[in-house]
Amino acid sequence: MIEVDTLYKSYRKSRGLDGFSLHLETNELVGLVGPNGAGKTTLIKVLATLLPADSGSVRVAGHDVSADPMAVRASLGYLPDVAGIYQDMRIGEFLEFFADAFRLKEPQRTAAIERALERAGLVDRRQDFVEHLSLGWKQRLLLSKILLHEPRLLLLDEPATGLDPLARIQLREQLKRLHAEGVAILISSHILSDLEDICTRIVFIAEGKNVHETQGSAVTTGTPALTVRCELEFEGSAEALDRAIAGFAGARVLERKEGFVLFELPGSPRDASGFLGKLLAAGITILHFDARGPGLEERYRRAFGDHTP
Amino acid sequence: MTRYITSPMIIKELRQRLRERRSWLLPTLYLIVLSGIVACVYYFTTDTDRHLRGVEVQGADIGQAIFLAVVLTQIIVLLLMGPIFSSGAITIEREQRTLAGLLTSLLTAPQIWWGKFVAALLYLLLLLASAIPLLALPFAFGGVEPLDLVKALGSIILTLASICTIGLWCSAIFRRSVHATACCYAIVLVLTIVTGVAFGMLYSHWQESHQGVPGPPAHIQAPLFLNPLYPLLTLIDENEFRSYVYPSSSWLMFAGIGCLAAALAMRRLQRSGEQL
Repeated sequence: MIEVDTLYKSYRKSRGLDGFSLHLETNELVGLVGPNGAGKTTLIKVLATLLPADSGSVRVAGHDVSADPMAVRASLGYLPDVAGIYQDMRIGEFLEFFADAFRLKEPQRTAAIERALERAGLVDRRQDFVEHLSLGWKQRLLLSKILLHEPRLLLLDEPATGLDPLARIQLREQLKRLHAEGVAILISSHILSDLEDICTRIVFIAEGKNVHETQGSAVTTGTPALTVRCELEFEGSAEALDRAIAGFAGARVLERKEGFVLFELPGSPRDASGFLGKLLAAGITILHFDARGPGLEERYRRAFGDHTP
Repeated sequence: MTRYITSPMIIKELRQRLRERRSWLLPTLYLIVLSGIVACVYYFTTDTDRHLRGVEVQGADIGQAIFLAVVLTQIIVLLLMGPIFSSGAITIEREQRTLAGLLTSLLTAPQIWWGKFVAALLYLLLLLASAIPLLALPFAFGGVEPLDLVKALGSIILTLASICTIGLWCSAIFRRSVHATACCYAIVLVLTIVTGVAFGMLYSHWQESHQGVPGPPAHIQAPLFLNPLYPLLTLIDENEFRSYVYPSSSWLMFAGIGCLAAALAMRRLQRSGEQL
């Protein structure tokens, strides 16, 4: 869906992208993570045909963004970091305008508008002025607007900025639903917990370059350099558990309390699953086992260290 | 072509403009000003003192005076309004952060420009049309031919279209409406005042060496070809204005300026991603 190879983009005084590459498949929901000024917005703008690249290859849905921008726009929906909205239009008029702007013909046009109203939960408010909506509702309307022409790819730049917790939860659920419907999504955000919850993959970017690519929680295969932190609550003697941990090469205990141990294993969550089998075979009563590996915050810290913009 | 005639941009722009309070306030004020001008001109041309001085007032004199006063007032007022309606058209999309939505839709830069242009011009034409009854008044007095009315209106429309394209160009190059509007007004001032001053200087210099020769030749009038008022001066049927007979040169100038400004604005709009 997205093929970016060694992309360079410079501004007058700075470099936006410095040989960045990204490949995104049709079934992926990829989180783009990096510090401020890393090049996330520049990348999304290049993909959305708003900025021309200096060099490198950029293809979206099989179309070159510089050679065929209209075909690219027809296949993607773009939500900028601070998305404006026409406050003095009615909700219905706003959607009608963008349905026309995406050249939808009847009867698809009416159907798309109705679908967008339903998706935004604004069916009963189509005659209301946009300015009367709260920020959360406006964001839902904007998301519905970019879905009017049924794009195969969504480019979302900080879509949760300014939303209250409930609106953020609803946005996450909506994105999960869209992903399940087959829409590929590239989302840039600083809210790592949100990305961890919904993304199938995380891409790190800093100073316009790929920093490190690792797996999100929804994917079970890990990268060799990773370790897995496991939380274990158990009943009974800790001796058998200590023996099992000592017998696993590279394993080390990080924290120990009565009936609880936090330890680190080399490898992926799949290796941890094998280790859990060994514990059960050793007759240890397991009350709770969590081997989701280091969270995205931990990965972010590893990728960027003390990097500050 | 149909895409340009029924462009969603035109519908959106007109809808937004006509919802503003100024959409009814401005035509009201505009007609009040014009009516006041007509009343003043009528009063002064039929002034009883003129009868006492032995000046006979013909109906045609009243008709011509009213016609010229209305036409000149219209062009001056609309020249002041043109930048308001055009120079904020694109910057407002930037300021409201809605331009990215337009540029990533299937609307092309020329379609976006066209929608903005037509909406700005149509509103000015609405003002122009609202004053047609006042412009028809001179026909009751005589002295004005329908062709004069057509020439005057055509000239005003062409000038306003050019001012709108200049306003849109300013709107495309600046980030903020206030800067774009200031720049557009500066250009309007250059066209109206600076060209007049340049002509005055050339004319006085020419007059020194051409005593008794009637009227300035075309090359002395050249700066005035860029003046929006010039084509209207050519309508005046008075001795001192008989030499001003080149309205088509002025029309060509304004058409050229309009085309250039339109091309530059569209080019800028296409490359405005970095300003978002």
